[in-house]
Amino acid sequence: MIPLHRRWRIAFLLTLLPGALVGPLWAWAATPVITITIRDHLFYPSRIEIAAHTKVKLMIINQDGSAEEFESYELNREKVIPAGRKAAIFIGPLASGAYPFFGEFHSKTARGTIIAK
Amino acid sequence: MLLNAVIIIVREILEAAMLLSVLLVILEHLGLSARWLKGSIIGGTAGAIGYALAIVPISGLFDGFGQEIVNAFMQMAIYGLLGGLVVTLGARQPRSIRHSPGRIIPWIILATPCLAISREGSELIIYISSFWPEATQHASFILGIIIGSSIGISIGVLSYFALRSLSGKRLMPVAVTLLILMASGMTSQASLLLMQADWLPTQMPLWNSTAWLDETSVAGQFLYATMSYEATPTPIQAGIYLAAMGLLILLYGLVRYRARKRLPGVAPPREIAT
Repeated sequence: MIPLHRRWRIAFLLTLLPGALVGPLWAWAATPVITITIRDHLFYPSRIEIAAHTKVKLMIINQDGSAEEFESYELNREKVIPAGRKAAIFIGPLASGAYPFFGEFHSKTARGTIIAK
Repeated sequence: MLLNAVIIIVREILEAAMLLSVLLVILEHLGLSARWLKGSIIGGTAGAIGYALAIVPISGLFDGFGQEIVNAFMQMAIYGLLGGLVVTLGARQPRSIRHSPGRIIPWIILATPCLAISREGSELIIYISSFWPEATQHASFILGIIIGSSIGISIGVLSYFALRSLSGKRLMPVAVTLLILMASGMTSQASLLLMQADWLPTQMPLWNSTAWLDETSVAGQFLYATMSYEATPTPIQAGIYLAAMGLLILLYGLVRYRARKRLPGVAPPREIAT
């Protein structure tokens, strides 16, 4: 016969198990994905609106023939995206406001803003 | 094009230049040859070329987050190496006893810039190689590289001379402080990369010090390159930074305490062995 304290322990762990399985799935499923395309050294779209206080996954597709580096001081993100490749970057949760980003290799033209509302 | 090239080069070179200047001062203070640093520059350049060539397969690792994970790993390795250097420097005997720098310090001084230059340099090489085919802008592009490199190297040289001008007693404590700040900064950068890859939870920033010191300003960029200044750190990022710094301060204090306890004028057994 399983002693009482062990039964409670088993029951406690069993209640955690569904939460442990569902939790990460829940978070993964709930992360919105926004696609940004780099074409001719420009970001499409260049103005993106997201919900404030939400983690967001940016999917950046580089359709140019040369590499670009997605960078933003305000977002604290930077990543090289080789030519013809795509890459994911997680941002947020962000307070409401505007967060500019740019392509470091073509910083004059490749510019965009993320607006958190 | 010119300005863009200058800014990119300066930013990438600055971090390595500051690290090299502090390590060079330490090398000279210990009476070691500068070829350890020359070797690290060569090794770092080779590493940067290798990393740049392999950027596509590396980026594909870890579900597309290979860059973040590999870079974070390299930064943590730099933290470990600089931490080891701090502890080894602290474990040296009081100034009254002459001793050899030991075998491990030169290798740490070789390995650390190697890693730093591989990481920063690879971005530079990718940038340069992607612009090289554009022949029309060659002149301003090359000029930008030269100007940017000169600025970055000059700042490094200035810091080197500034450090060297310190009197003997103050030199080591200042150098060790800079090493601890740089090493801790590495962990902050690594934690940012892991958040970018969703390996660490992302959070709202603790504060926003942009009003006091803007990250995009010249001073902000300089502080970022030397000690990874962040205007909007998250709680986890700040926590990791403080814990990393606290650990190094604790370890350094510990070895200094133990080194001072030994009687002056008596060489400990391991010194005789070397």
